[in-house]
Amino acid sequence: MAVTKVLVVDYGMGNICSVVNAFRYLGVDPVVSHESHEISKADSLILPGVGSFFKAMKTLRDTGIEQAILESVIGKGRKILGICLGMQLLGSHGCEDGDIPGLGIIPSQVQRFTPLEVGPKKVPHIGFNEVLSRQDSLLFYGLPRTSDFYFVHSYRMLADNLHGKAAICNYGVDFLAAYEVDNVYATQFHPEKSQTNGLILIRNFLRQ
Amino acid sequence: MLKKRLIFILLYNDGYFMLSRNFRLQKVGDLRWLKINYNFSYISFSIDELIVLDITRGQRDKKIFCEHLKMLIDGCFVPISVGGGIRSVSDARLLLRSGADKIVINTPLYENESSHFVHELASEFGQQCIVAAMDLKQSATTNYQVWVENGMRCLENDAFEYLKELSEYPVGEILINSIDRDGTGQGLDMKILNIIPESLSKPVIIAGGVGYAKHLHEGLLDSRVDAVATAHLFNFVGNGLRKARESLVSSGIALSRWDPSVFESNISSID
Repeated sequence: MAVTKVLVVDYGMGNICSVVNAFRYLGVDPVVSHESHEISKADSLILPGVGSFFKAMKTLRDTGIEQAILESVIGKGRKILGICLGMQLLGSHGCEDGDIPGLGIIPSQVQRFTPLEVGPKKVPHIGFNEVLSRQDSLLFYGLPRTSDFYFVHSYRMLADNLHGKAAICNYGVDFLAAYEVDNVYATQFHPEKSQTNGLILIRNFLRQ
Repeated sequence: MLKKRLIFILLYNDGYFMLSRNFRLQKVGDLRWLKINYNFSYISFSIDELIVLDITRGQRDKKIFCEHLKMLIDGCFVPISVGGGIRSVSDARLLLRSGADKIVINTPLYENESSHFVHELASEFGQQCIVAAMDLKQSATTNYQVWVENGMRCLENDAFEYLKELSEYPVGEILINSIDRDGTGQGLDMKILNIIPESLSKPVIIAGGVGYAKHLHEGLLDSRVDAVATAHLFNFVGNGLRKARESLVSSGIALSRWDPSVFESNISSID
């Protein structure tokens, strides 16, 4: 099997340490970088993220990382795995502090859990929750159809009108827990924080 | 369905891990001792989260703590919350770059300028990154009072007032600890939950007094509790946490499930 170069995009937001440790545990030593030329050389990109959509997109735009990601993923068809905020950044736009365009790779917008949706449930959605995946999912291969993963977020994306393979979690509303289409993979939960379920998922991503 | 959480707390003091009883500390061992006697990357497969608190009484060496933190959490694939002495955004950033997923803030929450500091942290790292911790002791009048600075200083007002203020802060969750029950193994002080105002609709982690699985069970059964935490280094390590978790699951508590045997031989090939 050809050695693929995995790069974790470090734009200053996110638990890079944990993501890198998970890959190392699986026998892969990722490059960690924010440099456009490094990003364009990688076979697989990992886009982590914790924090503000607005701040993240501003950083990605100002540093040229956005352009590098789009060229790799859309232009060259390189694999990408977006995690948590990283998944949201792949979306069409975020609705925090106004309307901010995302990378536009996944045609779904990012919005806060509404009181109508969650009712008495607490926001942020924190903890392990059940993810229902499809039988033909590549990311969830080998995992039970319903598996627990760790979530920590106040904003969510919905699966409406998406043509790829969606995995769903319910928190008052059925929201997009994970998504895969062609070379694009994304999880709202943190696989690097989800014990062996998460490690299996990351290993599946590496094997695509 | 959102699962409840079983959290282990490690108390760090100047290079050593400690047992605490009513906030009096007893040295247990250093990181090497911990790794030899209580293989934490194995134990971490029995918990939902790990909290590491630097409760060093004297001058804290933040760099050394971060180095120990990185070594400690190697092989732990659970959320890690870290706190103790966070007084600035750069303090928080240092911990988050050393492997912390969330930061635990205590004393600064109850001082002047606390609102500004919390908003600064939330704006920089996100609200869900912040765990607001509160240590409580019952006063002579049986009301609860808040003690800060590793339980050294008592705040003026009733704890309820500070909890109400916390409802306005951009924090992700609340960690409420009973100093009276701390380390006694007598069980959680469930009455503490009665003083949490309705306006404080954040996930609640309750701690202080857990000695046995039945205490964890009692805490997790309560609908106001989202997570229980224990720092009892003796009672729960070795097989203790795994057995406690198994007993909780078999008694019907909704905890998350995964197969810990999958990576037992630490497969390093992805072929």
